[in-house]
Amino acid sequence: MPDTTLLIAGAWISAGLTIFLFSFLYKDNPFFKIAEHLYLGAGMGWWFQVYLFDVLKPKVWLPLMNHDWLVIIPALLGLSLITQFIPKISWVSRYGFTFLMGYGSGLAIPAGLATDFINQIGGTIQPFANLTGMSAFTFFNSVLMAVGVICVLVYFFFSLEHTGVIKKASNVGIYFLMIYFGAAFGNTVMARFSLLYGRFDKLYAFSSRENFYATQIILIGMVIYFILHGFFAGKKTASGEEAA
Amino acid sequence: MLKDKLNAVLKIDRRWIFLALAVVLFGAIMHPLGLISNKISRDTQSAYDFMNKLPAGSFVILSLDYDPATSPELNPQAMAVARHAFSKDLRVGVVTYAAGATALIEKVFSVVPGEFKKEYGRDYVIFPYQPNAVAALTQMASDIYGIYDKDKDGKDARSLPVMKEIKNYKNVSLVVCIAGTSMPDAWVAYAGDKYGVPVIAGVTAISQPGYGPYLQKKQLKGLLGGMKGAAEYEYLIKTPGEGTSGMDALSLAHVMVAALIIVSNIAIVILKYL
Amino acid sequence: MKLIKKYIPLAIVFVFGILTLLTYYVPHKHSVNFLEAMNKWENIVSAFAFFLGLISLFYSHYAKISRKADGWGYSIFVYIGFLAIAVPAYVSHGKNMNGSSLTWLGWAFQYIYNPLSATMFAVLAFYIVSTAYKSFRIKSLQAFVLFVAAMVLILGNVPLGQMIWEKLFGWTSCAISDIVDWILHVPAVAGKRGIMIGIAIGAVVTALKIIFGIERQYLGKD
Repeated sequence: MPDTTLLIAGAWISAGLTIFLFSFLYKDNPFFKIAEHLYLGAGMGWWFQVYLFDVLKPKVWLPLMNHDWLVIIPALLGLSLITQFIPKISWVSRYGFTFLMGYGSGLAIPAGLATDFINQIGGTIQPFANLTGMSAFTFFNSVLMAVGVICVLVYFFFSLEHTGVIKKASNVGIYFLMIYFGAAFGNTVMARFSLLYGRFDKLYAFSSRENFYATQIILIGMVIYFILHGFFAGKKTASGEEAA
Repeated sequence: MLKDKLNAVLKIDRRWIFLALAVVLFGAIMHPLGLISNKISRDTQSAYDFMNKLPAGSFVILSLDYDPATSPELNPQAMAVARHAFSKDLRVGVVTYAAGATALIEKVFSVVPGEFKKEYGRDYVIFPYQPNAVAALTQMASDIYGIYDKDKDGKDARSLPVMKEIKNYKNVSLVVCIAGTSMPDAWVAYAGDKYGVPVIAGVTAISQPGYGPYLQKKQLKGLLGGMKGAAEYEYLIKTPGEGTSGMDALSLAHVMVAALIIVSNIAIVILKYL
Repeated sequence: MKLIKKYIPLAIVFVFGILTLLTYYVPHKHSVNFLEAMNKWENIVSAFAFFLGLISLFYSHYAKISRKADGWGYSIFVYIGFLAIAVPAYVSHGKNMNGSSLTWLGWAFQYIYNPLSATMFAVLAFYIVSTAYKSFRIKSLQAFVLFVAAMVLILGNVPLGQMIWEKLFGWTSCAISDIVDWILHVPAVAGKRGIMIGIAIGAVVTALKIIFGIERQYLGKD
């Protein structure tokens, strides 16, 4: 299996691809475009092999080899989806799609109703069932939440004209939404930084002596490219202007 | 004069901001501040407590549904939760509905079980990726082997000691779903709410505020949010890992963003009223 | 022909929709057996849906290369990227690890797909900072509320932010982590729950429209 040389080669490839993608932050360039296209292909390649080895082989191919002929039905329904690309018979794909949609919709209705509708209304009302055992702060929070939910729902209720009390309630709803979006923004900062930390941490690891300073060398290479590109692009523009 | 300067500051080429962020973050990685927060959020504590109370031998489904795009946040969570489960001698069944997760899962389980002398097949099992999560989750309610008849290596799942007396959700003590997708919603809807299986989620920081309603209604028994959730869990299990070092490195960058927002808005106010 | 092209597909969506819907409420043996069969089928059909994406990507880049469209040379790298994963997968029989060491596929994942995928999303960190600086403007009371919530979360999430809060507002004896917890458990829950209920109603209505054949856009043109 991959020996030390291959691991070092991996570090160079990985550092290179990472820096190529980051280079877009300075300016669009061919290295970024190459890495971007590689990403599309590698992503598809990864999914392809997972589908092949984890799903199609054990769930379709092997059962067929064991004469489990019932698998042919979903396999044909699945294959029908691909006729989407052949205009003359693209209607065949409807058989696969309608099966997927029917099954999905049938399961989504009761689950959606129970989990995101009834349970959420229950969650808003439930705290008031224990009024006697509630502290003043918990009571305040429960009221605040109930008022918030109602006001946000009013904000999204477009069948009534937003005037008078409805408008006031809807305005209050906006503040609750703003707090939610603010919290989401605050956390988005952490999420994005975490991802960046992940890449920088790897680049730091690849910058070690054991990896022959992959990060530094590739980074310097990119800087030289941009300097040379800027220089020659400037020259080209200048000569173009002269010729004009 | 001041106005011109402030305008220039506000219209600064954004590449300088990029560079500043890169320097701040890379600097923090090279020279860690050594800051560790011992403040544990309510939801991480609940998640930890729930798993901590499970009796040894309980079967836990670990649904790891994250790919490289979110792994810096979620991989430390998965490592911490797996460590906790093994330290409590729980049996672990790993499933995934994210195609990009398969290699990451194998990486986690090439490291963690060894630390606790746990064996594949006896103490844990990894099942192959399934493309339709709803179908898999619905199937497991009646018969897990209807969808997971074989493990990732093609071995008969029924024959594995770890799966002894496990048939459906009735035999599952807990589901921990660590996901960069909306998989926790599916687990709550198709396993938690309908069959009463306790569900704990580990999600990206972006998604974290969206799970408040499920936590309030106890549809989720606990929640780990982003790298912070991972760091908190690592603190609770007393095994610092990537989450702890990551949060340390992120400290300065967070303060930088807060400062940038405040500075730019002060500049706007000065420009408006000067 | 209309029967085969239109009515039978619509009958399929209706029949399977109603039957799977009923299985949720009918815990009878036949109902469970039916659902089990459908789960297996659904899982397999879904797997084929992936090929729609694959074929579409390959075709669009093939067309670009054959037309020698602008930047067609880059399209070749889509195929190179695909082969960079597919060939090691074939050699390693889809296995990522061999004991504790990487297989060729594991290597390709770790050093090709992983950095590409992770960096694509890591780049967004830079944009969120520049957007925060250039576009986060407190122009109204609503924006101010958003700003306060965001600021509390940004500072409360990291140890250094918690220390700064202690220095500035320690006298209030109110820890920032408690405020973060409160925001996430009370007002943010109200905001999200309102959205959640709204989406649930929308999703249920859409699902019903699909089952009853009112919503047919996914069928494509006649």
